[in-house]
Amino acid sequence: MRGETMVEIDATKCTTREINAEIRRQISENVREITVRHPGAKHNLGVALLQAVLLRIAGSVGYYCGALNDGATVEVEGSAGWGLAESMLSGMVRVRGDVGSGAAAALRGGTVVIHGDAAARLGASIKGGQVVVLGDCGHMAAFLGQQGTLVVCGDTGPAFADSMYATVCYVGGKIASLGTDAAVAPMDEGDVEKLERIFEYVPGPSTKSHPPASAFQKVVSERKLWNFEQREWRVWREAL
Amino acid sequence: MAALKSSGVFSQEVIRQIQTKAATGLYEIRGFGTLRERRWATFDDLTFLPCSLTRIPLEGYREKCSTRTVLGTRFAKRPVQLDIPIMITGMSWGALSYNAKVALAKGAAEVGSSNTTGDGGMLSAERKNSRTLIYEVLPSRYGINIHHMRMADAIELTIGQGAKPGTGGLLLGSKVSDEIAKQRELPIGVDQRSPARHPDFLGPDDMIIKVEELREATDWEVPIFIKMGATRVYDDVKLAAKAGADVIVVDGMEGGTGASPSIFQEHTGIPTLAAVCEARQALQDIGLYGEVQLIIAGGIRDGVDAAKSIALGADACYIGTAALIGLNCNRPIYEEDYRALGAAPGACHHCHTGRCPVGIATQDADLMQRLDIDEAAERTRNLLHVMTLEIQMIARSCGKSDVHHLEPEDLVALTIEASATSGLPLAGTRRVFGR
Repeated sequence: MRGETMVEIDATKCTTREINAEIRRQISENVREITVRHPGAKHNLGVALLQAVLLRIAGSVGYYCGALNDGATVEVEGSAGWGLAESMLSGMVRVRGDVGSGAAAALRGGTVVIHGDAAARLGASIKGGQVVVLGDCGHMAAFLGQQGTLVVCGDTGPAFADSMYATVCYVGGKIASLGTDAAVAPMDEGDVEKLERIFEYVPGPSTKSHPPASAFQKVVSERKLWNFEQREWRVWREAL
Repeated sequence: MAALKSSGVFSQEVIRQIQTKAATGLYEIRGFGTLRERRWATFDDLTFLPCSLTRIPLEGYREKCSTRTVLGTRFAKRPVQLDIPIMITGMSWGALSYNAKVALAKGAAEVGSSNTTGDGGMLSAERKNSRTLIYEVLPSRYGINIHHMRMADAIELTIGQGAKPGTGGLLLGSKVSDEIAKQRELPIGVDQRSPARHPDFLGPDDMIIKVEELREATDWEVPIFIKMGATRVYDDVKLAAKAGADVIVVDGMEGGTGASPSIFQEHTGIPTLAAVCEARQALQDIGLYGEVQLIIAGGIRDGVDAAKSIALGADACYIGTAALIGLNCNRPIYEEDYRALGAAPGACHHCHTGRCPVGIATQDADLMQRLDIDEAAERTRNLLHVMTLEIQMIARSCGKSDVHHLEPEDLVALTIEASATSGLPLAGTRRVFGR
């Protein structure tokens, strides 16, 4: 195996521990492209990859795939469970199907691309990086978002962008409802250019296409609840 | 003429609170922990039964009494090994100054103990000065970094905190300095509110998967702690054990905080004495007592509190507020600065303001300089050392060659309430009340 740059791992009868240990072993032997076949929707595949490798997963995965990643590219051909790419520092995680709740939660850097739909709390506590969902997203996406960019090409669920700090969101479809302290802001040329740059991360065949960048709505924090000494009681009553 | 008398219902303090709410439209946020007079059963309501004729004591200065403490023997390849059973709890860089964090790390390392990162990520200087560092994974995930996680000696998945269970952390804008804002990826000066629950799992069923994720991220090398505020302890401990925790941390209502609404500190959670008893019972009932280690936190003040916790089932104790008091919190120095806060030495709970007169709970560079790292580390070391000696003294007097041999039979209750809470017989009787 030593010296090969691409390998395949058949995960049919393997545990998560065995699969991840084999991935790490291959990386330690300088393999830079790994394909996991028959993943069986197992949880925690490709967690904490710290090298610039390409991990392809030929099927669907469970919770936390690509979580705590720093530098790797993880491609999931199927769908993913909860916590996809959570707490990632850098790298890229792409899912061709749909994803469960909490995708890209606490993301600090890198790019997450979801070709299908995302469930609730997409990008909760996002701290950096960028997230692109070609489909729709569920309840409370970008909740408590701190920094970073979140793009939803389809429709959002309720309470979108609730209680954010400085995350910037873009929505190509309908917003079911805005969350506390969120507001639609005018799009400018910089936003359009930013979106077009982000869409360069969405190459290849996709089941869904995105609207033109100029058709998106921008959502930011209104900053009314950033500080507790806000003494306007109506603001708090409305918010809470 | 009748003597002037204030109301027992609407006391002067209650009147002040009502009028403050009416004037400002704000609820009170403060630090420190509960200020209530303790009328519930506490460790003070228990007493040890040292040896007389039925048991033989050990010589105080001649016979060894081990304090070695091992945590995380269930699944981790590399359990935490400490020289003493007292550890420094998680307090963030942000809530505390850089100098305080580094001093606690240095002091704990000198006596073979541990410190914990807190809700703000890891400081490099903290890692450098620690012997054993526990890395907290909280709902907010501020500063979360896989490289730091892999440098840690244990991972603590925090579900809640004793001073404010069921709610997230707070760091008021006065402490969100340039450095802290950068570390936490927040706008400078914002009042930071942490989420109350983790974004990527809901309950014990999927927490099992979260625990597995943390193990995979650290190659199953280090123990996984699960920390919770003390509420429904009996059930929560069983669920945490089922989720795969190596170590469970239960933080009682007397625990401290850098900032939270005061109503949480005063009216939520159960006392630490009740918590340790419920936690032990839970682990015994599922056959995991001894296999899953138990750390107790929440208002532990001295070696006696710690010894009582250990006798009741804890493997170790966390200290937080006591450690800060050891650093100089509430010490009568810089008294004019206490007064400027509306506080006084011995009655300061103004950690939330960021204007800590003694340089502990602040990000102000001038205030922080009042806490000399080396001197503060020495005080931390001394405090942990003396607390350990106190536990040893108690253990030897009870005939134990290892502090972990202390057991419930070494204690009795001094009040009926303490008997009912702890399951210990009332002193002078053979009766356990409420059973």
